[in-house]
Amino acid sequence: MTQTPAAPGPDDGRVGVTIDGREVRVPKGTLVLDAATELGIHIPIYCAHAKLDPVAVCRMCLVHIEKFPKPQPACATTVAEGMVVTTNNAEVTKLREGVLEFLLVNHPLDCPVCDRGGECDLQDFTFRYGPGTSRFPITEKVHFAKALPLSQHIELDQERCILCWRCVRYYDEITGEKEIVLQQRGVQTLVTTFNGEQLKSNFQGNLPEVCPVGALTHREYRFRARPWELQRAPSVCPECSYGCNINADSRDFEIKRFASRDNPLVDDMWLCDRGRYSFPQWNTSERVRRPQLRPRGGEQRDVTAVEAISAAARELRAVVDQHGSGAVGVLGSALNTNEELWLLGRLARDVIGTPHIDHQLEPFEKLDPAEHALGIADIEECDALVVLGAEPEAEAPVLTLRLFKAERKRGARVHRLDHGADPSRIASAVRGAKTIGVIADETNRAHAARVAAAITGGAVRRLTVTRGVNGRGAKDMGVLPGLAAGYRSAPSGKHGREILEAAASGALRALLILGPNPALETAGDVLQRALARADSVVVIDSRPGVCAGAATVLIPGHAFFEKHGTVTNLEGRVQRIRPALPPATPTPTETRVLSSLAAELGARDWDRGEPSAVNRALRAALAPYAAAGNGGRATWVAEAVA
Amino acid sequence: MAEFPLLTKDFGTQDLHERAVYERTGGYQGLREAFKRFTPETLIAEVKTSGIRGRGGAGFPTGTKWSFLPKDVFPRYLCCNADESEPGCFKDRYLIDKSPHQLVEGVLIASYALQVNVAFIYIRGEYRDQRLLLERAVEEARAAGFIGKNILGSGFDCDVIVHGGAGAYICGEETALIDSLEGLRGQPRLKPPFPAVKGLYGQPTVVNNVETLCNLPHIVQRGGEWFKSLGTEGSTGTRLFCCSGHIKKPGTYEMLLGTPIRELLEEECGGMRTGSTLKAFQPGGGSMQVLLPEHVDLPLDMNEVQKAGSSLGAGAMIFMDQDTCLVDVSMRLVDFYQHESCGKCVPCREGTYFESQLMHKLEAGHATPAELATLSDICANMDGRCFCPLGDTATWFVMSAYKHFRDEFEAHCNAGECPVKARARERAA
Ligand SMILES: Cc1cc2nc3c(=O)[nH]c(=O)nc-3n(C[C@H](O)[C@H](O)[C@H](O)COP(=O)(O)O)c2cc1C
Ligand code: SF4
Ligand code: SF4
Ligand code: FES
Repeated sequence: MTQTPAAPGPDDGRVGVTIDGREVRVPKGTLVLDAATELGIHIPIYCAHAKLDPVAVCRMCLVHIEKFPKPQPACATTVAEGMVVTTNNAEVTKLREGVLEFLLVNHPLDCPVCDRGGECDLQDFTFRYGPGTSRFPITEKVHFAKALPLSQHIELDQERCILCWRCVRYYDEITGEKEIVLQQRGVQTLVTTFNGEQLKSNFQGNLPEVCPVGALTHREYRFRARPWELQRAPSVCPECSYGCNINADSRDFEIKRFASRDNPLVDDMWLCDRGRYSFPQWNTSERVRRPQLRPRGGEQRDVTAVEAISAAARELRAVVDQHGSGAVGVLGSALNTNEELWLLGRLARDVIGTPHIDHQLEPFEKLDPAEHALGIADIEECDALVVLGAEPEAEAPVLTLRLFKAERKRGARVHRLDHGADPSRIASAVRGAKTIGVIADETNRAHAARVAAAITGGAVRRLTVTRGVNGRGAKDMGVLPGLAAGYRSAPSGKHGREILEAAASGALRALLILGPNPALETAGDVLQRALARADSVVVIDSRPGVCAGAATVLIPGHAFFEKHGTVTNLEGRVQRIRPALPPATPTPTETRVLSSLAAELGARDWDRGEPSAVNRALRAALAPYAAAGNGGRATWVAEAVA
Repeated sequence: MAEFPLLTKDFGTQDLHERAVYERTGGYQGLREAFKRFTPETLIAEVKTSGIRGRGGAGFPTGTKWSFLPKDVFPRYLCCNADESEPGCFKDRYLIDKSPHQLVEGVLIASYALQVNVAFIYIRGEYRDQRLLLERAVEEARAAGFIGKNILGSGFDCDVIVHGGAGAYICGEETALIDSLEGLRGQPRLKPPFPAVKGLYGQPTVVNNVETLCNLPHIVQRGGEWFKSLGTEGSTGTRLFCCSGHIKKPGTYEMLLGTPIRELLEEECGGMRTGSTLKAFQPGGGSMQVLLPEHVDLPLDMNEVQKAGSSLGAGAMIFMDQDTCLVDVSMRLVDFYQHESCGKCVPCREGTYFESQLMHKLEAGHATPAELATLSDICANMDGRCFCPLGDTATWFVMSAYKHFRDEFEAHCNAGECPVKARARERAA
């Protein structure tokens, strides 16, 4: 096939290229590989990776480019005006067959027992582009170690390694650590750890995803499933407020792994190990399964959900009638969805009429819209970044990778400073920077504000690292004392710890708790005393724990991976979660339970409480959520917060 | 004209490696004159005029390479490539053994032209004696004020650092050399960026061969025009040829470029050994294609030898007689490349291994004709596909030998032994 170069177009920073007879205009500097992708033309790759710089070592992507004496790697060649590329002729077919034949010369061909089978690029491309037979005459191949544990999480099979360098580059370019190295040379080259040490990185779990073959695998996933048997639920990692996108992959009603789901604006496809390997906790059989009534001093008995909801309403009404609506304390959780929290806030303020509502122990003073001005992706646009204390990165580990990206790609200076570092010293340290980001955790907001105020001569944007997967959503939904949904001011109330103390002292007589809330359990002894003293403790929870154990009315809840809803990450991004597992209880979902409870308490205009309907309602009420839609950022302007 | 000594003119002088002796033969005059008569710009122009092409193998015009350095980006670095590991090559060792100061002077002149304040000499690990000689020469030169601050009152500062490699052929490839010098695995870098733009420590860098640099004192002293008058239009000056094989007098000979190869073979090398007749020869070193007796009338000219299907490469000449089995030679060379492949890219790493396995089978007389066809196809799948020239050149000798000596390769198939050796044995009996 002869091809004609594209006619030159206007000078708009784009260039025209022809690939397999089709023209496309792409920005200058685009790689031939990406231009082909734009046209829907598949070029097989091994060493190239969307998040890593090209190295062009595997030679799988070689294509024919007119005027070049030799085939060129599409992954490392940038387009030029009028370039004519061929990827589908006999020459390129032979190139691919050649490389695949070479790759298999010393490959153990143990696909039947390889975890990667079914999602391995070597298997897939051999099938699609390979020669079909081997001409290698000698049965003796070069042998290396197999099933080598590199850490508690990662296993290496050196024989399956195709030496694409991705793992080494991952450390060089993404985490900045140096744990994996290449040793020896030529056909003896192998991948191993530096000095034979175990991996220590907090981000090792990304390695098996970076590896195109079955050389680096998860020990926790070893021999657990074939990819075609997995059910994939696109969701959000429940471990922190960063909101990394994941696929919860399950088989036989068990989550087998969390796989990354690239969202360039949030996780950039990387997960931390805390998040990635947190999946087994969701497979636990320790669950609250049956609604129960446990009247104080009375007999404990199983009831239907409807009975339990009526009983809860009865108890709450009794306390309100006797002691006033301010005698009820309501506690939500950063693990609840926005829909649940939105209903909980309305139930507390509009139906029960109590101002005492919170989702965590510590007080959270009024939100300043400026503290969320810095989005995760904006970090890459900063010249200087100030991180106050170790907490932000301890809470949201993947933040570290974004900071490193800013350092590496933009040359940003990252100042990791003490919690309460002197604002004027910080200001002089970042002098000269045009764009500055200040990042602090939730307990350090006031100081972060002082730091931001002290910096002059550059545009400062702040980011507050909230706690828990939906800690930000809980605040936006008004599960806070003194601030109703959308940060509208409301009659002042007690914060989480005060609610517990008041219940323990008898000032509050009823508690309504929507769990699970691990943060609450860190309160210690006061929690026990509060639960024991209150006349009524209504608990909706999926986990048997201190709260469920002390409930007077216990209603089973749904685990994070058993329900639909949205959660909001630290920068305000509203993201969907989806069920990966069937519910462990026939009880209706939390949003329906809350709606029924409201109805029992006399609310008239509440609908049934399907998550999707609640979501529509909260979006109608909160403009930033309407604007955010699914996946966008909810940002608050100063007036709304006033 | 039998020879034209330029670089090797004084190599007969006793103790030439001593600075004082070297200076007595006119040494360091080139450096003095460079400072006196040239600015860095005019010096680069002079080198361009000389037409000198790199002696490291690729034959790239030196002056042109120098002019690729971006203006006003400092620091810049010069790396003298003394990694000489090409099979059949030993000229750089000879140049250093006999006259280390000539190289140091060349390094300093190039540094002045390129405005380099730190120059490195990267010498292969096995050249231990030569490294010690160079280190001593550098110290002597420093003591005499040729290295250091404000050299000879010129205002130009330059330090020279001798760095020993660890014994890898690939570290002679300029970007692998740079990685090795930086303390990384010696493996070639992706180009672009080219070293001239982003080389050692990310700075503009020039890599030049030992012999290339040794020419500089002479170009400075006698002028680019004069140098250009030597040799042929495409190949100016002289070159050192490392001659080995079945010849009477193996050794390194400096030849005026353009001289017929026959003159090198018959006059310098004393011709083939008694009882030996020339069957084939390899110009340029282990990487280059084989040539036939009919090619000995070619001139020592880079372009002419290239037209004949080979290259003068790094200046080695390996002459082979009638009892040499080309399959055997191919096997040995392939083994070398298999051993030296850095392992970075797939076609070279796996291809040389595949190639070597097939060559061993063929040489032993156990390969089938289908496997011979596979060998040729494997080579086609490597050549032009590799990341650097090492993998490409790992196929060149084999493929050229297969082309010129097809019968010999085919006779090995299913023969049970090497037919060439069997014939030689019979003749001897
Ligand atoms: C595999 C390989 C090995 C090489 N080895 C050497 C060497 O030992 N010495 C050398 O001067 N050049 C060697 N070269 C060539 C260098 O890459 C480079 O072209 C040369 O040093 C430039 O110097 P010149 O311009 O003075 O010739 C090698 C190239 C390759 C691809
Ligand atoms: S272990 Fe995997 S990622 Fe690392 S070099 Fe080997 S194939 Fe590539
Ligand atoms: S061709 Fe490839 S494997 Fe061979 S030496 Fe060059 S980069 Fe290394
Ligand atoms: S994908 Fe381009 S060379 Fe590996």
